Parts: sequence; structure tokens; C-alpha cells
Amino acid sequence: MRKPKKRGVSLTRKLLFVVERDVRLFFQYKAMVIMRAIWFVSQIAFFGLIASRMVAIEDYFRYYVGGLSTMTLYSAAIFIGFDIYEEAEHGVFEYLLSLPVSRRELVLGRSIGGGLRAFIYVGALICIALYVTGVANPLNLLLALFSLFLFAFGVSGMSITLAVAIKSSDRFDILMGVLDALVVRLSTAMYPLSVVKEANVFYGWIANFNPLTYASDLFRWGAGIESMLTFENPLLPLLGIIVFFAFFTFVGIVLYDKNIEGGGWQ
Amino acid sequence: MRKIVYILEHDFRNFFRYKWWLVGLISMNLADLFIMAIVYNYMLNPEITQQIKSYFNFFAPGLAVTGLFASAFMIGREVNMEKRREVHQYMLSLPMGRIEFAIGRVLSGGMRGMVYMSPLLATCFVFVGFPTLPQLGVIILVLFLLAMGISGLSIAMAVSTSSLDKFVTARGLVYYLLFFCSSVFYPFSLIEQLGQEGKFPMFLVTFARVNPLSNASDIIRAFLLGTPSFSVDMVICVLVFSLIFTLFAAFAYIRLIERG
Repeated sequence: MRKPKKRGVSLTRKLLFVVERDVRLFFQYKAMVIMRAIWFVSQIAFFGLIASRMVAIEDYFRYYVGGLSTMTLYSAAIFIGFDIYEEAEHGVFEYLLSLPVSRRELVLGRSIGGGLRAFIYVGALICIALYVTGVANPLNLLLALFSLFLFAFGVSGMSITLAVAIKSSDRFDILMGVLDALVVRLSTAMYPLSVVKEANVFYGWIANFNPLTYASDLFRWGAGIESMLTFENPLLPLLGIIVFFAFFTFVGIVLYDKNIEGGGWQ
Repeated sequence: MRKIVYILEHDFRNFFRYKWWLVGLISMNLADLFIMAIVYNYMLNPEITQQIKSYFNFFAPGLAVTGLFASAFMIGREVNMEKRREVHQYMLSLPMGRIEFAIGRVLSGGMRGMVYMSPLLATCFVFVGFPTLPQLGVIILVLFLLAMGISGLSIAMAVSTSSLDKFVTARGLVYYLLFFCSSVFYPFSLIEQLGQEGKFPMFLVTFARVNPLSNASDIIRAFLLGTPSFSVDMVICVLVFSLIFTLFAAFAYIRLIERG
């Protein structure tokens, strides 16, 4: 009777070790952490403030600050893929494979760790954003934060999936650059969906299915910036984020399990 | 002269080692132009539309300048890395004078920026319009001066900071201050207006006016769009920036490699 309980605890602990390692690793990149923070603050203080005068969107400053938080979360969560290449380059993979942790536990822990560390980091920046935008309904905000949590896990899972599938740091680097450019700009992080559709129907179509659109909209809904929301029902973007999270966590586990061994890393 | 060419060759080879990073940067720049600028076109305040007509046309020259800035700044990262790994000890053993070496590094940083910026400037000409030959000459000269100044600024920062963290932090501050407190993304009149309303510190308004990125973007706009009107002060601002940082960087770099 005691055995299954002991095994369960052990599994959670193994996951926790993996998560803890990835969180610690992230905060070793002090330069990256500082750069992102400076970028975030200067975007609010300069671009947000001045661009809000340039556009004819009501309350654009608060709208932009809301989107900025999810943009930062996205770029912090994607960083785990670069860690994987660092590990492959320095031979840490062999060490990780020798640990008494299964492949699945490892990838699940890394996905959670990648999302959690991004969330911890962006949490402080989100506090600044909420100070600027204000909070209308704390309950909505909690749901929004939960969805951002899932979004960060999903992005980490996506980053791991791509890193393990590509196995080439050069290709991964360029893919992430291009993906970042497209995912951020073809979303509602910076502008409302109605304007994106008006500018270009194809851009609008992509933005409609972009997880960053869902995350940005849910965060704005949680903070009470509801003037230009894409979806009337917040459950729809939440469902989109859950599907995104589940898909990339599952695919990430399968690919990591299959591809981690056998070398071929460039 | 030949020795400077060797330095240029060395730094260009290094530059093209980052080809994937460069492709990522170019795609980000093009996404800014062909997605962000197009969407912003549809959001413009009617008053601003009267002033700049199209955000796409307004932003295209600014984008060429930001591209130039980012690529010319890369030399600083390399110099900082050489300093931390003490590669400059090897550099000192090379059969060339300190002055030649320092000028070569600043020049290569600037030239790399010009090479990277060229397709962005060509895209700007194709979509916004072509300048006359003398105007093209002024644009190239101003952008070259700017590239040299940026290269000098990044080298000066690289040799004045002892660790990568400090360099990256200082770079972040300079980068975003020069980028966002300029007329690259928005007309200068908006910054001025915020300053007059007391929502933006006046020293930042002055900074935005003398910012070389503002002046270089506005010179291209003056020739291609006719607004703002061209003034010699714009060229002087870029020239002063370039002179200060090129000389300062050369001096600081020589001091660093001699100090060991």
C-alpha cells in the first residue's frame, strides 16, 4: 500500500529538481535579464507614451502596456531552447541522461521550468504593467494570470520541440528570430485585431489564430482594458491557450524522448 | 593603409560568421516594415496623417537607420569579448601601429553597419522613392558618419566596461535611449508636444532633437518625402557625434591595449 505513494512523491520530487535547475539556470543570465527589463521599461516610458499620441485608438497607452507584458513573457519563455543547445555543445546532455530521471519527467520538468522561470521574471514586470493599467476585477486577473502561466509553459514546450527537432543551433537561431518577428507582429500584442484585418486580411487571419493574441487579450481582459478586445467570451482565448499548451507539451515529450539520444547536434 | 585593410578583412570575416543572426535581424526589420508599419498606417491620428501622410513611408528611412545602428554596434561586443579573453595581447604582437589598429577597428565597425544597412536603404528607395544623385551622396555620407560614430561609441563602451553583464546593461541603456528617444518611430513634433505639456522631461526633448538617429532619419525623409525640411544643422549634429566618438574610441582603445 505504501509503495505507490512513495513512487508518486519521488516523481514529483524529480520533476521539482528539473524545474529548480532550469529556474536557477535562467537567473544566471544576468545580462539577458537586465536587457529585457530595460527594454520593457523603455518601451513603456518612450514608445508607449509617444505612440499613444500618434494613433487614433482610445486608451492605446494601456492597451500597449498590456500587450507588452505578454510579448516579454513570450520572449523569456522561448529562451529554454537556447539552453538546450548550450547543454548539447558542452556535453551536459550525457550528464542529464545519466540522472535517475526518465526522459518524460525531464522534458515535462523542463517545460514547466521554462514556463515558470519566464513567469517569475515577467511577474515583476507585470506588476509594473498593472500599476500603469490598474486592475478592475481581481478574479478576472487571477484567471488571466493562470492562462499566462499555461501560455508560458506552451511557449517553452514549443521552444524545446523546435530545438530538439532541428538539432542545429544556427537554424534554430534564425527560426526563432523569424518566428519572434512574425508571432509578435502578427498578433494583437501591439494593435487591435480589427485594425490588423483592415490593413491586410491575411495578417488578420493569422492574428486570429495566434496564441499571443489569446494571451494578450486575456491579460487585457484581466486588467480591465476591455475597449478593443478581440473576443467577447474570454473562454475562447483560454481554450486556445489550453490547446496550444497541451499540443506543445505532448509533442515536446514525444520528440524529446525520441531525439535526445544519438547525437547529431550541430 | 594595407594594415587597415587587414583589420577590415578580419572584422568582416567575423561579421559574416554571425550570418544566421544577421538573417534573423533582417527578417525582424522587414517584419517591422511590412507588417507593423502597414498596420500602424491604419491607426494613425488624422493630425499625424496630415503631417506624415503614410506611416510606412515615414518609418522606412528610420528602419534603415536602426539597422545601421544595430549592426555597427556589434563591433563593441567583439572588442569586449577580446578584452575579457585577453586576445588584445595577441593583437599587440601584430606588426602594425596602435593608431592603425584602432582606426581599423572603428572603420570596420562602421563599414559593417553600412553593408548591413544597404538592402534596407534600397528597400526604402524602392518603396518610398529615389533621391537625386547629390542627395544620395549626402545620405551615404551622413550614414557613413553615423556608422563610424556608432562603431566608436560601442568600442568606447566595450573598453570601459569590465564584464559582459556591465557591457550589455550599458548597451541596453544606450540602445533604447537612442532608439526610442528619437524621431525614428514617431515624428519629433510628438516628443516636443509631450515636453511642452510637461509629460516628458525637456532634457529628453533636447536629446531627441540632437540625437544622431533622429537627424539621420530626418535627412533621408527630407530628401524622399520633403518633410521635415533639410537643414545643415542635421548634418552637423551627426558629424559632431561621429567625430567625438570616433576619436574617443580610438584613444580609449589604444589606452586599453597598451595597459594590457
